[in-house]
Amino acid sequence: MNAHRFWNWFLAPGTLWILVLFAAPLLLIFALSFGHVDDFGRGVYGFKLGNYDDVFNSTYLPVLLRSVGYALATMLICLAIGYPVAYYIARFGGRWRYVLLAALVIPFFVNYLVRTYAWVALLADEGLVNNAIVDLGLSDAPVQMINTPWAVIGGLVYGYIIFMILPLYGSIERMDQSVVEAGKDLYGSPLQTFIHVTIPATQAGILAGCVLVFLPSVGDFVSAQLLGGPDTYMVGNLIQDQFFAASNWPFGAALTMIMMLFLSVWMVLYLRRAAKGEAEVL
Amino acid sequence: MAEQAIKIDGVTKRYGEFVAVDDVNLEINKGEFFSLLGPSGCGKTTTLRMLAGFEVPTEGRILLEGEPVEKVPPHKRNVNMVFQSYALFEHLDVEGNVAFGLKRKKTPKAEIQTRVADALELVDLSSRAKSRAGELSGGQRQRVALARALVNRPQVLLLDEPLGALDLKLRRQMQIELKQIQREVGITFVYVTHDQEEALSMSDRIAVMSDGRVVQCGAPEEIYEHPSEEFVAGFIGISNLLQGKAEGQGRVRVGGNSLPVPDLPSDFRTGDPVQIAVRPEKVAVDEIGNDNEKIQPGMFTVDGEIESMVYLGVGNQLTLKLASGGRLVALEQATYRVQSDDQWQVGQQVRVGWHPEHCMVLS
Ligand SMILES: Nc1ncnc2c1ncn2[C@@H]1O[C@H](COP(=O)(O)OP(=O)(O)O)[C@@H](O)[C@H]1O
Ligand SMILES: [Mg+2]
Repeated sequence: MNAHRFWNWFLAPGTLWILVLFAAPLLLIFALSFGHVDDFGRGVYGFKLGNYDDVFNSTYLPVLLRSVGYALATMLICLAIGYPVAYYIARFGGRWRYVLLAALVIPFFVNYLVRTYAWVALLADEGLVNNAIVDLGLSDAPVQMINTPWAVIGGLVYGYIIFMILPLYGSIERMDQSVVEAGKDLYGSPLQTFIHVTIPATQAGILAGCVLVFLPSVGDFVSAQLLGGPDTYMVGNLIQDQFFAASNWPFGAALTMIMMLFLSVWMVLYLRRAAKGEAEVL
Repeated sequence: MAEQAIKIDGVTKRYGEFVAVDDVNLEINKGEFFSLLGPSGCGKTTTLRMLAGFEVPTEGRILLEGEPVEKVPPHKRNVNMVFQSYALFEHLDVEGNVAFGLKRKKTPKAEIQTRVADALELVDLSSRAKSRAGELSGGQRQRVALARALVNRPQVLLLDEPLGALDLKLRRQMQIELKQIQREVGITFVYVTHDQEEALSMSDRIAVMSDGRVVQCGAPEEIYEHPSEEFVAGFIGISNLLQGKAEGQGRVRVGGNSLPVPDLPSDFRTGDPVQIAVRPEKVAVDEIGNDNEKIQPGMFTVDGEIESMVYLGVGNQLTLKLASGGRLVALEQATYRVQSDDQWQVGQQVRVGWHPEHCMVLS
C-alpha cells in the first residue's frame, strides 16, 4: 500500500506540467469564448453566447464547410496515394523496407512551413514549373496554379500523407498473408480478394490513417495561407486572424472551442473503434 | 481401377538453386484419404501449394481429373485448402466465412443458405453461425476452416497440418471426426502431416517424403511393416537397425549370429551387405530359464542383459545389450508385468526373441 503511494508521487511533475501548460490555457480559452472586446480591442471576460452565434452565421459557415471539404478531399487523396505505396513497401520492399520508409519519413522532419514554401517556389506564377511551361512554349502565359483550391489541397496532402502511410504500412505488414491466399483459394479474383479480404483485414490502418490526416487538415492554416487566396480561406486562417489581424480574441476562442468539439467527436469515435479492434485481436 | 483425382507427373520446384520438391510422381485416386508424411522442411507444404495453385512447378505437370492445371491460378481451380493457420476472415462471422466461396462463384442466395447450413451441421457448428471468428476456440476455428472449404464441394480438399495447433486430446478427437467427415462427403483429401501416428491412423495411402523426394508410397500397413529404406523405418516408429551380410538360404549374419530372414530377396548373393530392421514391439523378452512365457516356438532367440529401462505408461521400453555385441530396443506391453516384484532389473540376464518374418529388409 505504502509503496504504491510512494510511487504515485512520481506522477506529480507530469500532472503539474499538464495542468499548467495544457489544461490552464484551455480553460482560459473556454472562459474567453464567452467574453467580448472592449473599445481598445482587448478581450474582456464576461458571459455572453453571442460569439457562438457568430460562428454559425452566414459569413463564416462557408469557411467551416470549405475546411471540412478540403480535409475530406485531402484524406481521400492521401488514401489513394498512400495505400499502394504502403502496400508495395510492406509486401515487396524486402530488405529495403526500412530504407524506403526512412526515405519517406525524413523529409517530414523539415518544418512544415519551410516545406510549404518550397511548393510556393514551385507553383507560383513566376515559379519553376510555370517558367518551364512558358520556356517550353506549352503556354503563352503562366498557368494559374497557386491560389487555387487544388494548390491548397495539394499542400495539405504533401503535409500530412506520412500520417496515412505509416499506419497503413503497419496494418498491411501485420496482415496474415495466408488470409489473402484463402481469399484466392475461395474463388476470389485478385480484385475481389483485395476488396473482400485485404481492405477489411487492414481497416484498422485505413481508419487510423484517415483520422490522422483529417484532423490536422481541418485545422490547418499554413497551406491555405501560403498556397491559397481569399477563396480558399479555411477555419484555421479565420482563427489565426482573430488572434492577430482582426484582434477579436473572444470570437477566435469560440471558433477554437467549436473546432475542438467537432474534432473530439471524431477522435472519440476513432478511439472507440481502435479499442474494439484491439479487443478482437486478443 | 479407381478413377484418378490427381496425377503429379515429374514435378520439381526450385527456389533459385535450392530444390524444395524433387521429381515427385504421385497418383491419387478419387475419394481417397491421401497423406504426405515427412519431417519439417521436406517439401510437403510446397507440394500442396502447387496443387492449390499458389506455386507453379519449375518442371513437370499436375493433372486434376485429367486436366493439366499447373498454370491455372488458384481462384480458377476447383480445389480448396484448409490452411495451417486456418486463415479465417476475422471481419466476418462464421456464416460469412463459410459462404465466402459460394458468393464469389455467384451461387443463388437460397442455395448459399442451405449449403452453408448443411456445412455447419456437418462440422457441428450450427449454434455458432453468428459468432465472430475471434470468439471461437482453436478446435472450432479448425471446423470453420474445414466447413469453409468443404461447402464448395471441391474436386480435392487440401489440408496442411490442420490439427497441428490443437492439444493432444482434441487432436485425437478431430482425427476421428475428420476421417468420418471424409467418408461422409466422399471428397478426395490430400493431407499433410509430420505426425506418423496421425498419418497411419487416418490415411488410405501415405507418401513418405524426405528432402523433396517421395521415398515410399503405399497403404499404412505396407509402410509400417515393409519400409523400403532406413529413413522410412526410422521415421515411422522406432526401429532396431541391424547391419549384416547375406549368407544364402534366407539367412543373414549379424555379429556372431546367423539370423533367419525369410523376406530376403533372392537377388542377394552371399557376402552382400544387408540392412534389416525389427520393430521394438515385435521383440519378446523372457528371463533365462523361464523362456516360454513370451518367447514362442519358432522365434529366433539370442541372449543378453538389460542395460536400461524406461517406463512409458503403456509399457516399458527396454534397451538390451546382446551377448554377441550390439543393442536392441524392446517395447513390452504393461499387461505382461503388473506386480512390482515382477519388474525387470537393470543388469538382469534375459533371452530375447522375435519371429523371423518380423525381420524387415531395407534396401
Ligand atoms: N518461397 C520460398 N523460397 C525459398 N525457399 C522456400 C520457399 N518455400 C519453401 N522453401 C523451402 O523449401 C523447403 C520445403 O519447404 P516446405 O514445403 O514448407 O516444407 P514442409 O511443409 O515439409 O515443412 C524448406 O527448406 C523451405 O525453406
Ligand atoms: Mg509445412
